Amino acid sequence: MAEAHQEGSGSGVDFDLSQFYQIFFEEAGENLDLMEQMLLSLNLETADDEELNGIFRCAHSVKGGAATFGFSDVAELTHQMESLLDRLRRHELQPNAAMVDVLLESADASRGLLARHQAGGEGDSPPTADLVRRISVLASGNVAPPQASVVSSQQMSTPVTTPATVAVQPVIVAQAADKPLKTTRSLEIRIGPLDHPEQADAIKELFRDIPGLGEITALTSNQADTRVFAVETSSSDEDLLDLFAFHVSRAQVAIKELDDVAAVPEHGDGLFDGAVGSPKMVSYDDDPPPGAPLAPLPGFGFFDGAPGAPNPSAGMTVGAVVGSAGSAVPAKAAAKPAASVVQPEAATIRVAISKVDQLINLVGELVITQAMLAQNSRALDPALYQQLLTGLTDLDRNTRDLQESVMSIRMIPMSIVFSRFPRMLRDLANKLGKKVDFVTQGEATELDKGLVEKITDPLTHLVRNSCDHGIEMPADRVRAGKSETGTITLSAAHQGGSIVIEVRDDGHGMSREKILAKARERGMDVSDQMPDSEVWMLIFAPGFSTAEVVTDVSGRGVGMDVVKRNIAALNGTVEIDSAEGYGMKVSIRLPLTLAIMDGMSVGVGNEVYILPLSSVVESFQVKSDAVSTVGQGAQLVKVRDEYMPVIELEKVFQVPRFDPEKSSDIMVVIEADGCRVALLVDELLGQQQVVVKNLESNYRKVPNISGATILGDGKVALILDTGALVRRSRH
Amino acid sequence: MPLILAVDDSPSMRKMVSFTLTGAGYQVVEAVDGVDAYEKAQAQSFDLVLTDQNMPRLDGLGLTRKLRDHPQFKTTPILMLTTESSDLMKQAGRAAGATGWLVKPFDPARLLEVIKKVIK
Amino acid sequence: MGVMGKIGETISAGAREYLTFRLDREEYGIDILKVQEIRGYEPPTRIANAPNFIKGVVNLRGTIVPIVDMRLKFNCSKVEYNSFTVVIILNLHNRIVGIVVDSVSDVMELPAESLKAAPDVDSVIDSDAVLGLGSLGDRMLILLDIEKLMSGLDMELAPDVV
Repeated sequence: MAEAHQEGSGSGVDFDLSQFYQIFFEEAGENLDLMEQMLLSLNLETADDEELNGIFRCAHSVKGGAATFGFSDVAELTHQMESLLDRLRRHELQPNAAMVDVLLESADASRGLLARHQAGGEGDSPPTADLVRRISVLASGNVAPPQASVVSSQQMSTPVTTPATVAVQPVIVAQAADKPLKTTRSLEIRIGPLDHPEQADAIKELFRDIPGLGEITALTSNQADTRVFAVETSSSDEDLLDLFAFHVSRAQVAIKELDDVAAVPEHGDGLFDGAVGSPKMVSYDDDPPPGAPLAPLPGFGFFDGAPGAPNPSAGMTVGAVVGSAGSAVPAKAAAKPAASVVQPEAATIRVAISKVDQLINLVGELVITQAMLAQNSRALDPALYQQLLTGLTDLDRNTRDLQESVMSIRMIPMSIVFSRFPRMLRDLANKLGKKVDFVTQGEATELDKGLVEKITDPLTHLVRNSCDHGIEMPADRVRAGKSETGTITLSAAHQGGSIVIEVRDDGHGMSREKILAKARERGMDVSDQMPDSEVWMLIFAPGFSTAEVVTDVSGRGVGMDVVKRNIAALNGTVEIDSAEGYGMKVSIRLPLTLAIMDGMSVGVGNEVYILPLSSVVESFQVKSDAVSTVGQGAQLVKVRDEYMPVIELEKVFQVPRFDPEKSSDIMVVIEADGCRVALLVDELLGQQQVVVKNLESNYRKVPNISGATILGDGKVALILDTGALVRRSRH
Repeated sequence: MPLILAVDDSPSMRKMVSFTLTGAGYQVVEAVDGVDAYEKAQAQSFDLVLTDQNMPRLDGLGLTRKLRDHPQFKTTPILMLTTESSDLMKQAGRAAGATGWLVKPFDPARLLEVIKKVIK
Repeated sequence: MGVMGKIGETISAGAREYLTFRLDREEYGIDILKVQEIRGYEPPTRIANAPNFIKGVVNLRGTIVPIVDMRLKFNCSKVEYNSFTVVIILNLHNRIVGIVVDSVSDVMELPAESLKAAPDVDSVIDSDAVLGLGSLGDRMLILLDIEKLMSGLDMELAPDVV
């Protein structure tokens, strides 16, 4: 809940705007995200109007809302951003990497400020003075290197996506200065925001004191802390700024050329003469006598004679063609990355996540109930109960359809996951001095929201890994005959009932020898005959890292095993492929959803256990001569030409035997983590879709068990963790 | 009850304006940008149009011009909500045919005050 | 919220309602607000390698709930499962746990003044979890802080139960 605080523009009436804060926070968040996206994909060389306008509008929108709802720190920062962006979209400045950097940082800072407000506004507001200073330096067109900031020269010289466009500002300034110097120009000069607006009045003195400087007249300003002047001068902007610097900082001066038009004829009350229906009332927009403090301005007015304006009166018409000057915002069709902020509202609705989760739960219950009905009706005589049984079959189908439909509500496109990487990689590559292109494929591929949250960390680690350890330094790459810029590709695709996510890089790949050496060093049991695929899997061992230098990015060796565990926890698998010198590919395979699973139920003693169907390879009845015992009681079974370990579920789960006649003689071969084992069970009970329930919410994690489900008879059955069972067999 | 068309690409601003106006007894139709607003204007007549300036697809000035070209909206009061009131902006607004302007940020009381002056 | 544990500490004002149940020959009382519902006993699904007093988990309208047999935990002499056996379903800060007891009596309101400190007896129950002794007529109740009891490490429930 946002804290209550003063409204931005003061109010004499009792309006509580806090009810709109939440909408504003979300909206501002989207705008900042969009801005970041657009900044990252901005082509510095050929930035087009649409892109620049789009970015400008994002900042403008956040500023407007922040000011309206009273978040002045955000308003101030975004106002600065907006000023810079305004100059960019008017092509008064050329975009460069330093600007993109400072705008990205400012967007981050804005998010931070907003988050603080959203959380209640405790504590001090984080300082933004440095950012503001850097922005104004860039906005003024100077090359002056920032002093106290984090913007290292490294950042400026190794931008991620574009060939180095080091801030070459002198060119721009020269161009501005190239404007006809001897011809008189009409300018509008705005000075502010100032703590003491009277400081700006000193500017007028300059024009009085310096012969030939020009003419200056005060104009009305809609803000109490800003002064606006109309100036006729033959001096260049640069000269003026230099001059003004004695009294006000450059950052506070905005100079705009005015077309040669007659000043807007207004009534003393700020109305346009000739505008239909403008009211003749008390003056709103008085031109204050020079030097006098501005009265608080009402900030509105009517065009005298404009259609619809109150009290029409005949009057002068405005001479010039203003249309083009005013519409700096071209009315083009929606820009390309204009995603969610611009969409007409009818296309989507916002729903609280809790509601969707509740819906999913209810459908899950429905599935269980329907299963119960199906089970209980099995004993019925089909001839007698034909209608009932037909009805139940229909119910079965309806329930499945409903379930699919509801599960799809939680499906969101991978682009959500992918979106954080461009920024992260850019910063990381900059930091490491590497050049990296980031490519994504299959952004539209959908997966369950619950999975998205859990897959983001492992993916982040893999991508950072590729950048840190995979992609070589530009010089090394060139030496190796590769292009200077490396590529990291992130892709997602559906395959059967799974989603496959790949992280590929064209770096130096992994060294088989190094890995084997490291493994031996750590006392692991490896052989030179191991196939590549198994060698690569070694890096998932805890504490394993072949990085020579441990950086703070990754390389502490804590990463890969956690990645593997996280993925296994999602019932997923990881595979690695690598070619030394060429690159590396990590493939993650995940079931499409966590909540519902196709299961195979097996019986051991009087107990029922569930196996994920996706892990089951085959099953068969075993003859005692097919099983051989080796080592310390470990058992192996021969399946065609392969020997695989046997796991007796009766032993693992210490299942009590009440019926001595019954014994386990069915083998179910499962595959997990690339290995196969055979589980010894009493009988196969069937296959069904099961709703996966969490054991940990009320109990705790149980070894070898990944969850629980409720069977048709209402009883709980435990779901086996095939990964854990397979790992067990290796010891 | 007078019907007002409120145009702004910012949902929070729209909600705020809408809330303020309906609280004062006006009926409000919201539009998310100039194109949306113009479409809505085809469907019914409004007593007043309140429009933001900076919007995607079609901005406030563009919308004003289009509306003024439309026979039904030749005399409808159109107020532009803008974050600056430089002479340039005023010229542009005037030329496009706007009735007047209101500077953002404004507070709800001010909004109502101004509307009262122009709405019939 | 006042808690009385040792002699000399103050007792909170106001009475509290306690659900009373029996384990062997002792009667216990727990804060009624922590009780979600009371059910009959049904055999839970066994969880391998769990301590003996954790009987397993059951399905409570779609939620998986662990069942702890207090008679086994407190080393009672007789542990039977019959038609009187009751499971008290507790809701401890949104963790749901069921405890098996011999029988449930009634809900009693005990004014704070009637509570006495429990003597420091060497017992199976963690003394921190004993709030005190209450009496009503000739009945003597051992009042338990059921949250503390269930969150003790010896319970082997999830580490952050409460």
